[in-house]
Amino acid sequence: MQTETSLASRRDWLRRAGSGAGLLGLAGLLQDQGLLGRTLAAAADPMAPRPSPFPARAKSVIWLFMNGGPSQVDTWDYKPELIRRDGQPLEGFDNKTGFFTESVGPLMKSPFAWAQHGESGTWVSDLFPHLARHVDRMAFLHSCHTESNNHSPALFMINTGSTRMGFPCVGSWITYGLGSESRNLPAFVVMSDPLDRGLPKGNASNWGAGFLPSVYQGTWLRPKGEPMDNLRPPPGLDPAAQRAQLDLLASLNRRHQNQAPAGGEELGARIESFELAYRMQAAAPETFAVDREPEFIQQLYGLDQPQCRHFAAQCLMARRMVERGVRFVQIYSGGMENQRSWDGHEDLVGNHRGFALETDQPIAGLLADLEQRGMLDETLVIWGGEFGRLPVSQKGGKPGRDHNPHAFTYWMAGGGVRGGFHHGATDDLGHKAVQQKVSVNDLHATILHLLGIDHEQLTYFHSGRHFRLTDVAGDVVKSIIA
Amino acid sequence: MSATASISGARHVRSLLSGALGLLFLAGTAWRERAAADEAGNHWAFQPVRPVALPASASADAANRNPIDRFLLEDLARHDLALSPTASREQLIRRASFGLTGLPPTPDEVDAFVRDPAPDAWERLIDRLLASPHYGERWARHWLDLARYAESDGFEHDALRPHAWRYRDYVVASFNEDKPYDRFLQEQIAGDELWPDQPAALVATGFNLLGPDMVDSADQVQRRLNTLNDMTDTTAAVALGLTFGCARCHDHKSEPFTQRDYYSLQAFFGPAEFHRELPIPTAEEKSRHETALAEYNAATLPQQREIEEIEAPLRQRLREEKLARLSEDAQLAHRTPREKRTREQEGTVQETAPQVEVSAAEVTRALSKAETLRREVLLEELKQTPRPPALPAAMALRNPPHAAADMFVLFRGDYTQPREQVQPGFPQVLRAGVPAPEFPQAAADGGRRTALARWLTARNNPLTARVMVNRLWQHHFGTGLVATPNDFGVQGARPTHPELLDWLAAQLIRNDWHLKPLHRLIMNSAIYRQAATASREALDRDPDNALLSRRTPRRLEAEAIRDTLLAVTGEWDAHRYGPGVRDSGSARRSVYLTVKRSQLIPVLQAFDAPEPLVSQGTRPTTTVAPQALFLMNSPEARRWAAALAGLVAPLPDGSPDAGLTEAYWRALTRPPSEQELADGREFLAAQQARHSASGNADPRRAAWTDFTQVLLSLNEFIYAD
Repeated sequence: MQTETSLASRRDWLRRAGSGAGLLGLAGLLQDQGLLGRTLAAAADPMAPRPSPFPARAKSVIWLFMNGGPSQVDTWDYKPELIRRDGQPLEGFDNKTGFFTESVGPLMKSPFAWAQHGESGTWVSDLFPHLARHVDRMAFLHSCHTESNNHSPALFMINTGSTRMGFPCVGSWITYGLGSESRNLPAFVVMSDPLDRGLPKGNASNWGAGFLPSVYQGTWLRPKGEPMDNLRPPPGLDPAAQRAQLDLLASLNRRHQNQAPAGGEELGARIESFELAYRMQAAAPETFAVDREPEFIQQLYGLDQPQCRHFAAQCLMARRMVERGVRFVQIYSGGMENQRSWDGHEDLVGNHRGFALETDQPIAGLLADLEQRGMLDETLVIWGGEFGRLPVSQKGGKPGRDHNPHAFTYWMAGGGVRGGFHHGATDDLGHKAVQQKVSVNDLHATILHLLGIDHEQLTYFHSGRHFRLTDVAGDVVKSIIA
Repeated sequence: MSATASISGARHVRSLLSGALGLLFLAGTAWRERAAADEAGNHWAFQPVRPVALPASASADAANRNPIDRFLLEDLARHDLALSPTASREQLIRRASFGLTGLPPTPDEVDAFVRDPAPDAWERLIDRLLASPHYGERWARHWLDLARYAESDGFEHDALRPHAWRYRDYVVASFNEDKPYDRFLQEQIAGDELWPDQPAALVATGFNLLGPDMVDSADQVQRRLNTLNDMTDTTAAVALGLTFGCARCHDHKSEPFTQRDYYSLQAFFGPAEFHRELPIPTAEEKSRHETALAEYNAATLPQQREIEEIEAPLRQRLREEKLARLSEDAQLAHRTPREKRTREQEGTVQETAPQVEVSAAEVTRALSKAETLRREVLLEELKQTPRPPALPAAMALRNPPHAAADMFVLFRGDYTQPREQVQPGFPQVLRAGVPAPEFPQAAADGGRRTALARWLTARNNPLTARVMVNRLWQHHFGTGLVATPNDFGVQGARPTHPELLDWLAAQLIRNDWHLKPLHRLIMNSAIYRQAATASREALDRDPDNALLSRRTPRRLEAEAIRDTLLAVTGEWDAHRYGPGVRDSGSARRSVYLTVKRSQLIPVLQAFDAPEPLVSQGTRPTTTVAPQALFLMNSPEARRWAAALAGLVAPLPDGSPDAGLTEAYWRALTRPPSEQELADGREFLAAQQARHSASGNADPRRAAWTDFTQVLLSLNEFIYAD
């Protein structure tokens, strides 16, 4: 239904609010915040930074989204039993679990070599030689599960908490809750595949603000060419000429504002928006310019490696943004489905090997760089996709694995999580989450918690009721918090 | 993106509060539920519209001549406030032009109105604007927000809907011809039942199908249910101002609607077939087409027959092969004639239909080499005779010839968990004084939506007229008398002026649901014509302008901003109606740009055009940096500025004052002040010098473009009055 952000009269709202025992202090609080009376619009900057209600472990989030659904049993969820039963049929398997119901093959062991790493002795497949060195910084959630076996609903689920289109995503909820620390950059930024492999399915709905005000939607950076619209002055207009334009604009606007007292604050905000835009013109390209980083930093991320240069640049850009106060960054590895993303229906080896090569060193470089700058404690790094993959093969010339909504692994690092820790477990074959299961709502509740937000209290009134990211569910996975 | 800025006005307080104070909110759940239980029974909006006597006129002053003023002046007087002065004629014509047509007046129109000595100059201006074909374009856009109008399916493929634009044209035309609102609603809910021979009435029913639709869903039963849910929710929000969707999965937590109410309302739509491409010829088009088709078929009969002889057995074989792969139950369901299928079997058939469908490509692949060659020859022969063009088509509802499936309350909205059966019925709490639906219950289910349409537009429906007059008020003043136009429920805002709302609702019905008389009534009030200036007392005693003690300046909506930029720079292509335009660089009015859900027009999005997913009763007004970046740096903004510069820049030896004056008139429909002229001259000279220094080939023209770009970025430009 519709977004009712409006209010009949403030008095009416206060009357109703005031009748609730929990809200007795509200009017005073409003007064303190300058929200009552004439200063309303001035106080109404939707992006003003707001302190988190509870002590926050993380201030920013970098979500490395492995689009298409990486296989848990080939990455972080070691299953010796799957090796033993390689080639056997999986009794009682529901052929409708995946997407290609007529291509269900027998159990297939992981084609990758596994070894233990770090003090935690974490098993990692040889897909991730660089990341394997950081396992003691990561908290693994092995028992994630979701509600759809289809890309776009599963993407919507993991991003918005609903399989349906049009709900606000995690990044929107967080910027709505906490505002932005940066006055010159967007608060919530999304990067997608720069190698012409497309966008994640469902496109911009994955970073949409849904019924939240549109200021909270993610800013998608164009993967090629200029990352943002209209950041450069038009041809033939040098900085001094544009500055002169803005000076004239501001002076005419101020004169107009003085004649129209009734709309003063809003008109003033618009005057300020041009100044902000002018600053953003300078700040944003500077932030995107990863080539200004010293060579050893570029090499740390793998910018000199052809196979991962593109993702390395995005990871480095993410660090530069977070450093400058951007609240939430999401980077998609891979584009649309099938071989263009981690969606390894055919040739699992080639598919996962390729995307691991693209991302392994850049992510490891990001973790190391955040750590050496002392930023990792306040930056929550998240790794995962929209679902997992099946332990049985998908038949074909080169076998693959089909979608599995019942089990997948997420890991988080930094931002107050417990390194080298493993939460939950799948069954012996990695088919279904069985111990300490983590729903998508639980995952979201945990992310919000690390940012100092109680997921049950971050709400938005819309369409006749209060909505939450976690709907009516969600438990914080407390064990992973350091 | 964003970073800066403010969301405008008091009507957004709630969202801002929840932004700043979101943490406080859930503590309030319990009180809300208690309040709902207490208030629901006698909630104001569920009571009949009361006959309201006009307040006695306190004085005979000029401000008092319009009935609307009497309601408001009384309230103002109670707060010891008076109206602000009347706005200037220059301001008034801008306000009226933007309000009714979404376009600025031309300098000539301003001039004529300012000089018009006749006592009825204002009334005639309103009549002229209401008669303008651009009135329908403007007000259609408001309605399209409510109707979640888009021209594509949404979801991952987001295919275009080639016929959806007919609904947009239907809405534009309906506003332009001042179609009575009751008829307008009836056509959209039940046009196919009530006026089956009228193409416009069929197009109107496309209203119900405008939501997102996952065409290739693996679960086609769920897909149909999603569409049913969407049309139920949208109808309730748009016609009744109710947030009904919450009752889909459980009894509404804060409104007096039960889940049974929800599925009873949905049952009105239960029998309908959803057509994505229903031919809608007039009788004449149809007969012409039939003749042409008969001629075509006669001319090509041998070829058609031979192709069919080649293809039919293959198609049959391929279908059998596909059927054999289904479960035995599914095979049986498919082989059972439709009229003999059980409800479950019908569901199975719908769900598995895509799996047994044989595509033309599959048939082609199955042909033998000889067959392929022969068919190619035949197809080539067919091409010699031109096929008659397809009939016009629309997205529309229609009832099937067979009986409707039974409808049930669905536990948690899940179709695999049906509970008690429901009949079509109106929400319990709204039934007082409303006749029971009249339609044949049993075999023929043809009249269900007619019954719903008649009930929605019954004179004693407590909500429909109130909701619509509130929408008119909202668009004229920025905020409705009820500030939550799609939520008149217990959770919604209370009316600021309940008597006025009821009086206006009665006026709408008295005027046989015509909207234009209501526009006249509202715009002829002194309240409407106030200036935006406010006295200190007014700011103190009426800070949010809830009493309407002055005009609240408002930013134009996204479409009006773009259209105005096109209009004042002489770029505008005023061609009306027709299929959507995909090129966002087009100079057509914004209402004619294709609304593709996954590729919304960036400039419109930047200025808060909504995502067309669900009905939108209000738009936010954000002020964010990307809007400024668009006006400063986008190729369009620069192009428009250059176009305006081309219209106003005087000859090199001419005085800049003439060009500056012309630029102010075109952009802002007023002359510049002396100070503004001086500022302009100074800017032009300095800017020209800068461009010369940087080697610009035409520094004079560049300086003028810089200047006009500033004019087009002014607050005065997009804050219309």
